[in-house]
Amino acid sequence: MAELERDLRALGALLEYPPEPDLVPAVRARLAQRERRWRRPLVLALAAVVLALAVAFAVPPARSAILRFFHLGGITVERVEKLPPVSRRSPVAGLRGPMSLEQARRLAGFPLLLPHLTPRRAYAEEGIVAMLLHVEGVEGPVLFAEFRGEGLGVVKKAIERQTIVEPVRVGNSDGLWLQGAPHVVTYLDARGRARVRTTRLAGNVLAWTRGATTFRLEGALTREQALHIARFVR
Amino acid sequence: MVGRPLEETEVVERAKRGDARAYEELVQTYQGLAFRTAYLVVGNAADAEDAAQEAFVKAYRALGRFRSGEPFRPWLLKIVANEARNRRRSAGRRDALALRAAAAESSGEAAPSPETAALDAERRRVLLAAVETLPDEQRLVVTCRYFLDLSEEETAAVLDVPRGTVKSRASRALDRLRETYG
Repeated sequence: MAELERDLRALGALLEYPPEPDLVPAVRARLAQRERRWRRPLVLALAAVVLALAVAFAVPPARSAILRFFHLGGITVERVEKLPPVSRRSPVAGLRGPMSLEQARRLAGFPLLLPHLTPRRAYAEEGIVAMLLHVEGVEGPVLFAEFRGEGLGVVKKAIERQTIVEPVRVGNSDGLWLQGAPHVVTYLDARGRARVRTTRLAGNVLAWTRGATTFRLEGALTREQALHIARFVR
Repeated sequence: MVGRPLEETEVVERAKRGDARAYEELVQTYQGLAFRTAYLVVGNAADAEDAAQEAFVKAYRALGRFRSGEPFRPWLLKIVANEARNRRRSAGRRDALALRAAAAESSGEAAPSPETAALDAERRRVLLAAVETLPDEQRLVVTCRYFLDLSEEETAAVLDVPRGTVKSRASRALDRLRETYG
């Protein structure tokens, strides 16, 4: 008896768990948002989102100077002196899945446009679908995500000075190209049950919009590779 | 067994009074255990993270009902497990438990003979496989009691069953494991 229990304890110490996420920034932001809402119940959902994000990115004032904003569809890019300290996580962390594309579409609640490299599995939540593409010649997976902005799903990126931000055209749509230096992404879905997720990424990003949908490609891609993939999204 | 530092009571009291920094300290302290507990219940990292995050938010709102002086850990773990169970119902297949790569190969003891190392690694695999084949409710008792090293009381809180049930399930689980593991 004692031996088996001892062996089980020893086994427990050798178990492999997934990397532990840092929950502090997300919990902080959500609590701050709720308090805000309670005080001013008439504040619109979008305003609450913006407030919560401001809190999520609260870092000591001297370091948090916001240098510039870029807006595109459901994405806000904010240049900051110093990135908030968050751990690096899988870009699909927090989403459900993997699931079939059909399940993802139903969960997301809007019709999907897909790249020509579409895998069979996707990750989703209401208003957002993400999938990991394998692009030949590119190291690591490439994230392809699409979501409906409309003030409900919001993605925010914080970047440092070294990151290049360049406006681009994807077909007839406006886009942004972000290159170099890690950045921090926060997702927030404010449909009554706000969620904040923060993650740190190192890849380059192409973001663009079409209609009410915002698209995001992210990974170790060159600008040309990203634009090429984006052109075939239909 | 829990070894709760004295000042934790003070931190919890400050959080109860609405001190957000104090609460963050509690999140910092317990997020690892909360995540692992949720992971063992729900079986995948994304849902576990979601459950742990949600639990910390709900626990904060429920702090008013937390009885001062009681241990914080089992109270929190109960909320975490509840969130994880809610997600378990909708989650797909559970990820199999795995051993850290190094542990799967050698015993980690000082200079074990190749035979011992092989035997140890083999026994570990057998034991883990035996745990994996336990019925859900027995497996959860084993993972709580031995893998997470929770007390009986904490295990009861996590599984939302009386302590007596924890005892009987644990004893059935150990009997079963002994059959396959020897």
